Amino acid sequence: MMVSKDLVADPSAIGTSSGRPDLWCTYAAIRTLAWLNRPDGFVDGERTARYLSSRRNGDGGYAWSRGMASDAWATYYCTQGLTDLLRFGIAEAALGGVAQTTRWLDTTWSGDAFAMMPGQAPDAWATFFSTRTAVEICSGSETVDTERLLKWLSGLQTADGGLAWTPEHAARGEADARACFYGVLAWRALTRTGAHPAPWDVERLVAWLRAQQTPEGGFRFSPDAEVPCMWATYRATVALDALGSGPAAPRACVSWITSLRGETGAFVRWEGYPVEDVWASFCAIGSLRALRAPTEPYADAVTARMRRLACAEGGYTYREPDLAADALSTSASILSHQALGVTTADPAIETRRRWLRGCLLPNEGGVMYMPARGSEVRCTLWALEAGALDGAAHLAGRITPWLRGLQNPDGGFGYWEGRGSDVVSSVSAAEIRRILGDGHGDPLDTAELLRFLDSCRTPGPDEDWQAGNVPGGEPTLRATLQALRARQLLGTPDPRAVARTLTRHHVPGGGYANTGNRIPDLLSTYEAVLTATRHSIPLDREHIRRFCDRVTQEHGTAWTPLAPADGRDLLAECVGDLLRQWVSDDAAALPALTIS
Amino acid sequence: MSTSSVIPDSAEILTRLRAALSVPLGDAVQGVAEDADLTEALGERYDSLAAMECITAVETQFGVEVDFVADDVRHIFSTLSRITEFVQGRLEDDAALRAASDA
Repeated sequence: MMVSKDLVADPSAIGTSSGRPDLWCTYAAIRTLAWLNRPDGFVDGERTARYLSSRRNGDGGYAWSRGMASDAWATYYCTQGLTDLLRFGIAEAALGGVAQTTRWLDTTWSGDAFAMMPGQAPDAWATFFSTRTAVEICSGSETVDTERLLKWLSGLQTADGGLAWTPEHAARGEADARACFYGVLAWRALTRTGAHPAPWDVERLVAWLRAQQTPEGGFRFSPDAEVPCMWATYRATVALDALGSGPAAPRACVSWITSLRGETGAFVRWEGYPVEDVWASFCAIGSLRALRAPTEPYADAVTARMRRLACAEGGYTYREPDLAADALSTSASILSHQALGVTTADPAIETRRRWLRGCLLPNEGGVMYMPARGSEVRCTLWALEAGALDGAAHLAGRITPWLRGLQNPDGGFGYWEGRGSDVVSSVSAAEIRRILGDGHGDPLDTAELLRFLDSCRTPGPDEDWQAGNVPGGEPTLRATLQALRARQLLGTPDPRAVARTLTRHHVPGGGYANTGNRIPDLLSTYEAVLTATRHSIPLDREHIRRFCDRVTQEHGTAWTPLAPADGRDLLAECVGDLLRQWVSDDAAALPALTIS
Repeated sequence: MSTSSVIPDSAEILTRLRAALSVPLGDAVQGVAEDADLTEALGERYDSLAAMECITAVETQFGVEVDFVADDVRHIFSTLSRITEFVQGRLEDDAALRAASDA
């Protein structure tokens, strides 16, 4: 199987790097070095530990970045990373407040399994993360009902034997090697609490996993995937090992893995891929361990590579920090340039757009936050708004079917495949459809998406239309306006509800607040202006200007009047540039940028 | 009652301020010099979330209201002396407004 020439990264294209560490990359680097027993790969273990522990929120959970809400994904990666560092004697890594973390985990328990955030529907990703956090870090949780969790896990099996993201996805027959890994490893974590037989027809599950091995030796995510990759190979081989089995052709698998190495000797994702990223080595070493193959021959090269991926402020990114571009920063830099008056014909903009097109890779049709990481709905929207498909409209034919497959059985969309639904992702999907049109078929079921948005509605005064980001979530300005913006795109506009929401969160001094009407912030003010203009509701530009003036500081744009700006946060700069342009230019229209 | 008699002096405001901020910031705030930069003195503990808690504590302790747009909150809440000065000025303004409305 060859990678389509449309999907081969253009080495001359240059994206924009924040130069900063990333949570998943940091976890992958630490775990790989722990597997190899190579603490010499920790360039500054104390700083890396501080980077991880600084994600902790007051509720005991951890967030992808400071100031964001806690989720299961970040809580698992932070606590596991800190635990690994502590094993190597890095003092800063001591976990604090485990009891509070346990209480936060309990808020994500649905009654049957774990959700990524409180209020969301449970999925295999979150259930894996939080079962392991509960069992391995928090020493169990009294809230978790093992019998009900095993029953929920049993429902993941599809008619053809594989496991899906949720029982509802299983009913649609959507098995995936990643879901197999998450389901099987959640069960294995539970076996630490007692003898629990695997809750599936193991013979058929093993057969489905084995059937994903390709003639080359590597595994694919599912029969629909285009090429075998290191990520799918890791998930499949570890799941098979946990089930007491292995690939039908283990030697071919080892040969395939060990053949995929770049110039430095570290690993690459698939044949012909030019970057030895952190995840390829993580997956390769993890797979070799599952296959009982030696890892020692690769330890020096992988450790040296990890050291090159370390960031100055602690933590790791996916490749050399100055080259580690991402889709959000790159899109933001393009949109900032445009807001500041740089023409779209500028070569710097075109080379960034070509880099964004390089984030469309095999196996998943959307734009990836970082190349080879997995497609993400918000990143796809930002890239499209930044003109990623200008001059390459045929690539829309990849995004549309991916988006269609992303719609969950509850009608909503999550950040990525199989992840629980929320309003942020759902409005992003609706905006992607607006941009792409229906030239490649309709990528979403309108009635089903409206059903999900209605499920996020919360009772408000005078029957106001208010929504939380997830069903049962606290109503906020952003979730409410995002839901109303999506409803407008779906043909059910409600400008009176938009106007009432704007009034409720209008900060007299300037800008809009996400909750109440005292503390304005950049994202809420941007959302207010965007949704108001979409509904032809006039706003006082002087009121927005006063807010912009307050968050415009010597070194850049701050997210709130209280936060410092250092000029390195390209997303804040972009949102600020666009808002300032809107204030000063009657003709300026805001792109639909949605992040939280 | 004269206006000046109901407004605490800066020393009293500072004492009450340290007591109020010890709830969100801990006892460490007692040893922070008046003009010391709180971020430098307290490190990562004094981030924007902690500053928000301090603003709430000041509003509750002194009965004043902070305007997040009109007031330069990042500058004011960077040292104890600036907070003290802000509180004293706001109390004087409030007292003057009350006196004007009583007249």
